[in-house]
Amino acid sequence: MSSIGKGDLILEIADLAVDVQGQRILDGVNLAVRAGEVHAIMGPNGAGKSTLSQLLAGRSGYEVKRGTVRYLGEDLLTLPAEERARRGLFLGFQYPVEIPGVNNVYLLKAALNARRRQHGLPEVDAFDFLGLVRDKMRLMQIDESFLSRGVNEGFSGGEKKRNEILQMTILEPTLAILDETDSGLDIDALKVVAHGVNGLRREDRAVVLVTHYQRLLDHIVPDRVHVLVGGRILKSGDRDLALELERRGYDWVRQEATAA
Amino acid sequence: MLIGENSVGEFYSVAVANHYQQADTGTKMIHVGRNTRSTIVSKGISAGNAQNSYRGLVKILASADGARNHTQCDSLLMSDRCGAHTFPYIEVKNPTATAEHEATTSKISEDQLFYCLQRGLSQEDAVNMIVSGFCKNVFKELPMEFAVEAQNLLAVSLEGAVG
Repeated sequence: MSSIGKGDLILEIADLAVDVQGQRILDGVNLAVRAGEVHAIMGPNGAGKSTLSQLLAGRSGYEVKRGTVRYLGEDLLTLPAEERARRGLFLGFQYPVEIPGVNNVYLLKAALNARRRQHGLPEVDAFDFLGLVRDKMRLMQIDESFLSRGVNEGFSGGEKKRNEILQMTILEPTLAILDETDSGLDIDALKVVAHGVNGLRREDRAVVLVTHYQRLLDHIVPDRVHVLVGGRILKSGDRDLALELERRGYDWVRQEATAA
Repeated sequence: MLIGENSVGEFYSVAVANHYQQADTGTKMIHVGRNTRSTIVSKGISAGNAQNSYRGLVKILASADGARNHTQCDSLLMSDRCGAHTFPYIEVKNPTATAEHEATTSKISEDQLFYCLQRGLSQEDAVNMIVSGFCKNVFKELPMEFAVEAQNLLAVSLEGAVG
């Protein structure tokens, strides 16, 4: 893990085509994410953004028709989901699921230990762990009652999203993919989330933000912005591209691409 | 049988049926005395091709003024070939008595499993965690050592059961 340096390739997607239930959702995606970078993937509804995030995290039900995905130099698509997670790939869910009766802290501890085992580290000490969780909770402005509640059980939309970021800051992933983490957040919660993500930015890590809206990018400034339309990345640019999308919508990107 | 005044009865159970098993489990609470109270919490887990039934009788006799019963029956389905059934029999002969019955059925979801896998848990650990969560309000009534045993037994019974 420590051998990753700034500029190393973390994720490399080449000509990726994916079907879901016989329908082509992704159709030739190319993307390279290097250590130290934050990428934003923007696009209209149904462009394939969530399919891409879920596929990378290893969800079943997606049929890869063409192309390759390499993560830290390895063929990502042959690894089972839990193996990807242990190697530092984290997905912040768009709709985090509730698991009644399973304590938040318990799941989080199991997750951290799974990751530590991968690196030959001993299980985390219960006392140290609780201290760590409390610190991060303060940072994420999460209420103390969180410690005794079930996983996302009865959480509001904003609480669920903050919990995702809390998990992320504790698991310290090499590659974090955040699937519309900003949707449904008010401006204060958005700032808290952005603060959590910015705290994770480091030379040996990368973040991919999947989002509809530009407003998250006011708080987390991306190195690259990509526009995913109709299963393809039609345009890439820097931060200004996000601002232009905000102003002009997505149609012009589509038109520009068909004209070319 | 709850005969004496103010007597209390509690029944907590977890029933697991796997493969082609058919389970039919439950309890009887018979309220005779005044102000008697009873609680039934029954958790049924069905896996494979199993059918799991809860069958319980709550009988409140005419003598049982102010008797109360609360029954909670939750079923968890681990596959799409298994089933869960609930047959509550409630006989109330006293108009001042209260009997409540609550039942839920849920399926262990792809989303819950994937969420746990994405956090690095093995399939096996993920299933155990979700199932233990489901049984939590029964296990928490048990003495600690026994609860741990029960949880382990549950894990063994359900090995490779999701599908």
